Amino acid sequence: MLVAISALSVLLVDRAREDNDWVVHTVEVENDISTLQLRIRTTESAARGYLLTEEQRFLDEYLDASSKVHSGIDALIKLSGDNPTQIRNFNEIREPVQARLDEFEKAIGFARRRDTAGGIAMLRSSDSGKATQRINDIAGRMRAEEERLFMLRTQTADRTERLASIVTVAGSGLVILLAGISIFLLRRSTRARDAAEAQLRDANLNLEATVDERTADLREANNEIQRFAYIVSHDLRSPLVNIMGFTSELEELRTDIFRRIGALHLAAAQSPVLVDAENSVEAALETEDKQLLDNFSEALEFIKSSIAKMDRLISAILNLTREGRREFEPVRIDTRELIEAIVTTVAHQASEAEAQIHIEPLPEITSDRLALEQIFSNLIDNALKYLKPGVPGGISVRGRTKLGFAIFDISDNGRGIDPKDHQRIFDLFRRAGLQDQPGQGIGLAHVRTLVRRLGGTMSVASELDRGSTFTVTLPINWNANRRNREP
Amino acid sequence: MSAAVTIIMIEDDEGHARLIERNIRRSGVNNEIVPFTSGTTALRYLFGNDGSGLEHKGEALLILLDLNLPDMGGIEILQRVKENKHLKSTPVVVLTTTDDSHEIKRCYELGCNVYITKPVNYESFANAIRQLGLFFSVIQVPPAAT
Repeated sequence: MLVAISALSVLLVDRAREDNDWVVHTVEVENDISTLQLRIRTTESAARGYLLTEEQRFLDEYLDASSKVHSGIDALIKLSGDNPTQIRNFNEIREPVQARLDEFEKAIGFARRRDTAGGIAMLRSSDSGKATQRINDIAGRMRAEEERLFMLRTQTADRTERLASIVTVAGSGLVILLAGISIFLLRRSTRARDAAEAQLRDANLNLEATVDERTADLREANNEIQRFAYIVSHDLRSPLVNIMGFTSELEELRTDIFRRIGALHLAAAQSPVLVDAENSVEAALETEDKQLLDNFSEALEFIKSSIAKMDRLISAILNLTREGRREFEPVRIDTRELIEAIVTTVAHQASEAEAQIHIEPLPEITSDRLALEQIFSNLIDNALKYLKPGVPGGISVRGRTKLGFAIFDISDNGRGIDPKDHQRIFDLFRRAGLQDQPGQGIGLAHVRTLVRRLGGTMSVASELDRGSTFTVTLPINWNANRRNREP
Repeated sequence: MSAAVTIIMIEDDEGHARLIERNIRRSGVNNEIVPFTSGTTALRYLFGNDGSGLEHKGEALLILLDLNLPDMGGIEILQRVKENKHLKSTPVVVLTTTDDSHEIKRCYELGCNVYITKPVNYESFANAIRQLGLFFSVIQVPPAAT
């Protein structure tokens, strides 16, 4: 649009310039006609002057002027070659001009022959007035023609100029309008963008608030579970004290009862003198009573061992919940040094199992020292506990770093874990394989919880009889994030 | 322990109460034991109906306190006893299942005199109570403040 207007405006300006050129051209033509007339007159007066005075000055002037007359006509024809009317006029004017020039030539001829009177007479006799009249007429016509052209061309030029200015003004108006529209549109889009930005900001804030809320909820839920586990395990202990207490009381009663039965037997059989001897009381029991005593004792033993086990489980839960509540403190840890210290503490176990523990260079990480100690000592302890009997143990600890994480592998050549148990071993109170070692099934569950709290993951790769590799991945730079922060 | 000292046993679990009493008796302590199974009744007895504790002004008492009571925390009872001007010199023995270090610390801070964890293992339990009984037999309870 703007290009079209510009092109049009350029075109019009060009046209106007052209029109102006035409106007100037007309004026030039007019001017030249006047010059031509003037020259004829000059020629005439010079001829006359020469005739009268015979001065060389006039002759020169005459020659100069007369030679220019025809060239003037030719120039005019060339100049106004576009106009047939003018060409015709020029051709028409040529004849009387020539007649006049011829007359002057003749007169000059007379003058040269010193026949001034003849010349004058010739000039007088000739019908010079008619030719001059014709020249004047034709020149007048030509001038009128040029006048008309001048008027016409001026009008055209004016029109073109007006048109050009109108187009320019219109173009400017259009430009301003377009600029206004652009500004308006720009403003509108800016406003829309601002609104969208504000919305986005709000959404972000909302999202953050929502995340915070959910996090708070989760933390609350987690705390609740911790409290619940704590209270439950705690309250379970109370009845357990009773069960254990009264079982022990029953034991006492059993002893008392059977002593009395034995005493009665003895009293019935022999003299009561030997009653106070403990051994004899036991011995005095009849086979049937002995069986009863054994059954009694067996039942009590089962109850007691179950209670003891339950107590261990409850203690384990209590410890776990306590562990869950502990605040972690990230510090720079030389892992190799830490694991060497752990290996020192299990040196006795290792030598008993004829196991070698090999520690490769390990990356330093920032984490919680106590948690790391628990993780690695559990894993090394497990590796030592579940070696293959009769085979010298080989345990190695390797480490590497990858993408901001430190990866530790604890490998052994032990009895291995059936792949179907790989998930199970991480569950609380669950164990796998041959149950020939003491344990509650807590270690790995605890380790995994710790690793997760430290922002890491852990996995196992193992097959039966092929040894196991436990892989612990921990962030190299762990900082107490919000998971660890109490609300 | 002088015969005048009364042992106030605040223990909601009757089984525990029975076991404690038995083992105290076995250690040869024959003082009167007044059992309470809830905090409210124990407080009413200790502080009297007016809540001033004036009733027991002249008596020598020893409090055996469990922390997990159904109606209130044992710590609250401990706190109130130690804040009362007539009762604050009364020895308080906390006997509870909790072995949480925070709880223990808090009890001592509040003025508890002895903190004993009830072990599940009965032998340890009986042992602890009997030693407590022995402790009772040598302990000097402040004479009734006048």
